[in-house]
Amino acid sequence: MKKFLITVLIIFAQASFAFIEIDSKAPNFELTDTYGNEVSLESFKGKKVVLEWTNHGCPFVAKHYKTKNMQSTQELAKSEDVVWLSIISSAPGTQGYVTKEEANELTTTREASPAHVLLDPTGKAGILYSAKTTPHMYVINEEGVLKYQGAIDDAGGRGFMFKDLLEANNYVKIAIKELNQGKNISNPVTKPYGCSVKYAG
Amino acid sequence: MLAESYSMNPGDELLVGFKFTLNPGWHTYWENPGDAGEGASIKWNLPNDIVASKILWPGPERIPVEPLMTFGYEDEVVLLTKISTSAASAIPLNLNAQVSWYTCKEICIPQEAEVSIPIKLGSKTPSVSKGLLEHTLGKVPVEFNGTYRVNKLDDSYVLQGEFEKMDQYDSMYFFPKEYGLTNYTENQQYEKNIDTFSLQIMASEVTIEKESFKGVIAVNKNEDVNFIEIDYPLATKEASQEFNILTLIVFAFLGGLILNIMPCVFPILTIKILRFVEQSRDSTYKTLQQGLLFSLGVVISFLTIAALLIALKSGGESIGWGYQLQSPVVVSLLFYLFVILGFIFMSNIVLGSNLARLSSISLNKSDSLESFLTGVLAVIVASPCTAPFMGSAIGFALLQPSFYSILIFLGLGIGFSLPYLILSAKPSLLSFLPKPGQWMETFKQFMAFPMWASALWLLWVLSSQVGDQEVIQVLLGALLITTGLWLIEKNNSEKNWVKWLMRLPFLLLFIFSLWLIPASYSDLDESKQDQLTYTPQLLDDLREENSLVFLNFTADWCITCKVNEAVALKTTKVSKLLADKNITYMEADWTRKDPIISSTLEQYGRTGLPLYLLFPSKGDPLILPEILTEDILLSYLNEVQ
Repeated sequence: MKKFLITVLIIFAQASFAFIEIDSKAPNFELTDTYGNEVSLESFKGKKVVLEWTNHGCPFVAKHYKTKNMQSTQELAKSEDVVWLSIISSAPGTQGYVTKEEANELTTTREASPAHVLLDPTGKAGILYSAKTTPHMYVINEEGVLKYQGAIDDAGGRGFMFKDLLEANNYVKIAIKELNQGKNISNPVTKPYGCSVKYAG
Repeated sequence: MLAESYSMNPGDELLVGFKFTLNPGWHTYWENPGDAGEGASIKWNLPNDIVASKILWPGPERIPVEPLMTFGYEDEVVLLTKISTSAASAIPLNLNAQVSWYTCKEICIPQEAEVSIPIKLGSKTPSVSKGLLEHTLGKVPVEFNGTYRVNKLDDSYVLQGEFEKMDQYDSMYFFPKEYGLTNYTENQQYEKNIDTFSLQIMASEVTIEKESFKGVIAVNKNEDVNFIEIDYPLATKEASQEFNILTLIVFAFLGGLILNIMPCVFPILTIKILRFVEQSRDSTYKTLQQGLLFSLGVVISFLTIAALLIALKSGGESIGWGYQLQSPVVVSLLFYLFVILGFIFMSNIVLGSNLARLSSISLNKSDSLESFLTGVLAVIVASPCTAPFMGSAIGFALLQPSFYSILIFLGLGIGFSLPYLILSAKPSLLSFLPKPGQWMETFKQFMAFPMWASALWLLWVLSSQVGDQEVIQVLLGALLITTGLWLIEKNNSEKNWVKWLMRLPFLLLFIFSLWLIPASYSDLDESKQDQLTYTPQLLDDLREENSLVFLNFTADWCITCKVNEAVALKTTKVSKLLADKNITYMEADWTRKDPIISSTLEQYGRTGLPLYLLFPSKGDPLILPEILTEDILLSYLNEVQ
């Protein structure tokens, strides 16, 4: 009986950090962007949305920006009228935590083109989506239903630093294209790879 | 980079390693890094005829990064590689590799290095590093020395296995090789017995279909950790019967309900229930109390059985439902019990517990005890009668961690006692019955016949375990017991001491009849064997020839088996189809204890009967339903290729 109770407790304790099933409703969140606007996921209903968990200090993220792989994915999204939200869940004092100004400067210097960069220093949105790594990507359709989650591409795994990212299969680009063609996503869940999200301990 | 020797001859194999020394608090990763990070990678730069093996990863540690979990190494780690050369390889040579890895604390730093060591020509001479490399080799997971299996439950995996002296290991943890198999952060539940263990691991929240359950288990003994490879094929969704624990409890509950109408149990319960007809005018509180006590007796008996079975299982016995009937002693005792019960129904005998007294209305202490004991008795007489759903539920229950087994047995007990409990709470449900009177006595006497029919069946089971001589002995024992009972019934003396004196001969006769019980199997009568008997060897041979095989696991005490055989398996249509399609029919008879059959059953996740396997010429066998009809069986046989 004791074991059973413990199991129950574990289940409840974990409930807040829950995996979202593909084809279920993407939970809503409200965060402040780097210009001080309140941005909620619901306000983008009718458009596809990409969520990108990011941390500029993480070498995985750094390589994706240095090789322009992330920017090219953002550009594709923009041209297809997909809303791109970059989310920073690093807690204050940890790697990747930035002020609004620093975040805007990063966007400019890296020539990135997200619709909004959202600040999530408490980690509430990250925990809501069970975001584990940077980068960790999510694609949501016009009805607000989660269609893809996982890595940005298949370059993860050992030897990542040796790989040419522009030659990898970019899962996010594929998911956007497949959604536009009304197809099912061929790989709706992949293993996210990268640094751990720096949540407040 | 380290090598076991800095010289080698062409054709030699050389063990080399990359040593990573980490500052306190920093770590690097295993081949599956867990939630984040990445293991090291090595890019060799070698001549064509020299081959470097994949990295031999020592077993990892858990490194939590709240709320995530990563797998890796702290302090120091050596990643090993075996370099093999051919007789034509050019030596001396330079072993050159590019290594990239991450060292992480809160943040990760990617690192890269190009390393090389020169290797001279000459026989191998141990270097100073040889000891460290060999010590590390001891940390690389080894093959599992023993048997194990993995069952997929609803949201978890259960890894069960045996190896010697399991009880000396204090803890165990499973590290999955791939993403999407098991949950990294949740605790794993470890249970151990003398030579067996079970580890329950929550499945990953991400559902990715996996072909095999691959990973490494770390088993701890004091400070020592051993790493063992696990790779178990997982059945695909279609083929495996996915049992949900709730479904099984419902099955057990239904099995319990059905038990009520089995010929072994029905008479006892009906006669007990008939008393409510009389008592219905009495306070319902009292009947309800009796009903509750009865249910308590049933549930406690089932839980006792569960505890007993779990204890036996821990002792390494392979057991299943019906197992008790493999013992001629148990069968003989049950036979006596049924004969006695039949006799009691037929006569006016009153035993100490007032078992069959119909006239009692007042509820007193002995009545409460009686209700409880009736519950216990009902479970005992139910034990030879297996309801159709029960075999699979109990069989599966025993493969589960103990807690689930107990839940399933609880379901069984509640199902079994529920009809009785309902009637005791609301005796008016029986108001359709005629008024109490002579008919009840007649009915009671009639109920002796199903009891004796059960006794007859037990005798038949016994006859396939022991010889004619022993069967006659047991029959003689029954004769003695009934004679003793008759003596008690005829004793109408008012004087207590006469009563007790008359009970003495019964006691003596009873003891003598117990002495007559055979304790061991007799040789099998060869004439019974008119079909192929299962042996693993024979099955393998037939499979090798690509023959179609139908394998029937049966036992004389398994009623479901016998019913299936009568209505489906042994019909002319089926026999004809078996012959036409050239399907080899094979029987595995579990009437007696047989470790080979027990272990085969276990391979298919069963501990009980029946089990029907139909082997196509290639691939895995089909598991047929437990309840067969001629149509079901014919359609399976027709389709098999």
